[in-house]
Amino acid sequence: MLTLQSWIHIAPTGACLEGHSVPVTDSNEGLLKRLYHQYVGDYPKFFKMDPLCRLGFIASELLLQNTPDRFSPREDRAVILFSHSGSFASDSHYQQTIADPNDYFPSPSVFVYTLANIVTGEIAIRNHYFGETSCYLLNRKDPAEMIAIVEEAFLDPQTRSALCGWVEYVDETHYETTLFLVGPEDHTGKPIWNQDTINDLINF
Amino acid sequence: MEALMVELKQAIIEALNLEEVTPEEIDNDAPLFGEGLGLDSIDALELIVLMEKKYGIKLKDAAEGRKIFQSIRVMADYIAQHRTK
Repeated sequence: MLTLQSWIHIAPTGACLEGHSVPVTDSNEGLLKRLYHQYVGDYPKFFKMDPLCRLGFIASELLLQNTPDRFSPREDRAVILFSHSGSFASDSHYQQTIADPNDYFPSPSVFVYTLANIVTGEIAIRNHYFGETSCYLLNRKDPAEMIAIVEEAFLDPQTRSALCGWVEYVDETHYETTLFLVGPEDHTGKPIWNQDTINDLINF
Repeated sequence: MEALMVELKQAIIEALNLEEVTPEEIDNDAPLFGEGLGLDSIDALELIVLMEKKYGIKLKDAAEGRKIFQSIRVMADYIAQHRTK
């Protein structure tokens, strides 16, 4: 039986960790940059990421920030993310950058983010995870399907925990992520990882 | 050459999204890859695009890029000799 170890929600209105609002200072920068400066600050690769990756990355940073031995390499944690739009925002941006035939210089660093699963890789690289990483595009936010897919990942005996959840980026004012850290039952009273538990959180 | 090196640093900062780096912080002779700015393989490709887009220099051989992208000074030297715009 799997349990929900911790969770985080980020939307343009703010970030919420374990149900508690994450304080963030006011500035002219967008929320994700403010969260980066306030809670991360030592990973310049953040600025190279596309918005979807920034969203997933920042959520994972806040979710994992107090984890002991966080950066020790491990193979037992999967990163499994779900989205509806995937990399569509970056796909569109890339298309715009190559639209003018008289100024046709495709940018490798823009193109590289036209894959939705890059966000799982960014999280894995940052945290030295060498387990499964996967990204699924769903027609809608479907907790039952997400639970089924995550549970399937645990059929691999190597997988003992999973950083999973919903990551959706449309534009600067329309984005949302809810990430979960899921692991085996540890008899500490953590909620069971099932549809009842996450339905409220995923629709936070 | 000094002006070109300053221009080149600014162009690299913009092209590679080095948001927290200023031109003054980039040593003209420091390696761009590995240590120094810690650039990666995607950055190398982006520099190849930059060379063509801004200076009209087409690099066809990756090994050639490895030599040219040693440092800002080496890049600027190469640009000064080969630029077509």
